[in-house]
Amino acid sequence: MINTIEEYLAELKKELSGSDRATVQDALADAEEYLRTALNNARESAPAAQEAEALAGIIGRYGSPGEVAAAYKEIETRTPPALTRVAKKVEPVAVPVSAGLVAAAPITAPVAVVAARPLYARFFGIFWDARAWGALLYLLFAMGLGIIYFTWAVTGLSVSAGLLVLIVGIPLFALFLLSVRGIALMEGRLVEALIGVRMPRRPLFSRRDIGGWQKVKNLFSERQTWTAILYMLLQMPLGIIYFAVIVTLAGASVWLIGRPIWELGFGIPAFVTQSYVFYTQEWAMPFVMIGGVLLLTATMHVAKYIGRLHGNFAKVMLVRE
Amino acid sequence: MDEMINEAIRKFQKELNGGTAALALLGVLDKAEKPMYGYQIAKIIEGQTGDVDIMKQGALYPVLRSLESTGLLESEVEPSVAGPPRRYYKITGSGRQTLAKWVEIWQQTSDFVNAILKGGNHD
Repeated sequence: MINTIEEYLAELKKELSGSDRATVQDALADAEEYLRTALNNARESAPAAQEAEALAGIIGRYGSPGEVAAAYKEIETRTPPALTRVAKKVEPVAVPVSAGLVAAAPITAPVAVVAARPLYARFFGIFWDARAWGALLYLLFAMGLGIIYFTWAVTGLSVSAGLLVLIVGIPLFALFLLSVRGIALMEGRLVEALIGVRMPRRPLFSRRDIGGWQKVKNLFSERQTWTAILYMLLQMPLGIIYFAVIVTLAGASVWLIGRPIWELGFGIPAFVTQSYVFYTQEWAMPFVMIGGVLLLTATMHVAKYIGRLHGNFAKVMLVRE
Repeated sequence: MDEMINEAIRKFQKELNGGTAALALLGVLDKAEKPMYGYQIAKIIEGQTGDVDIMKQGALYPVLRSLESTGLLESEVEPSVAGPPRRYYKITGSGRQTLAKWVEIWQQTSDFVNAILKGGNHD
């Protein structure tokens, strides 16, 4: 027998164990929205009624944790997380309703097309891939953000630690942790928007069953407060590495592609040793330029790959289990 | 034996719902004048269908999310006064086009099944 919404959510979470973390988040957010709204309405229409009884009726209509979990799992198996990027134009899809696959059809059809493309199309297609450009942008931003995060984390930690011996240090520390959670939420949205890894959609403190004091205590006891601080500290070195890698690769590509201009236009040699100056042979020019284009394309793939790795890392560090 | 029949009934209902839930949700949101959140949609469906209880309202939510991920719906989260933030859904242009096709298919399918189930005069 489930007597409170929290019990229901805990039960639902248990039923969904093993599913994608973002799916669990979505399921919990959906259930909470429905149950709380329904319970509020029930309270307004019949204030005297027993809450547990009202809830039982509501759950009867919404579905038991087992039933609801099964519905999410069903959808999850139809939507492979790695392939949710859909072709931009969703054509009206004609699928027999009786097959019970209507929801799946628009997803699976374009995916099959993507997988069937030849190797060269997939390699150069990266330039039309919004995810790759998003990841590239993120990796270039990461250094700036990393420096800000690092400064904020170090300042917050040291000021709070210094003042902990005085009473003001404790509320100050709590405020700092609160800001960390806010930054974690914002960073999550950024990662989701640019890299496409799904991140939490629930702002902090949406729980209504616990008081303000308990919320503050949770701030200290929850794992992701501390991993978010670690993330903020790590973001600076990671950001510097990302920036260096991307700028080096992109720079080398431009250096290769622009050979004819640099050498013939400006007389800049390919490379210089102590006693010799080397220029590219004329017959080699096209090959050098092709090499540059290949390197530039590879850079985009590298950006997308690093972006995905970073997205998964951010998910581990910032999302509530 | 009963167990087997029950299983068959459940399986049939589940497979049908896989398609009809998406159709019903698109239908509701197509008529909606402004974006709606899950509970509102569930209540509208409940209000229109009365005591026909073939799917749990909780099973509508994952379908909403999957329709969004395929671009047929779009959504926005807004904080609410009385509880957790709500996700408001509205139908997209391609959602409307798809719905028109789906409705057509639905008509054909139900005509097809009804025609067979009612039987004809084949002696």
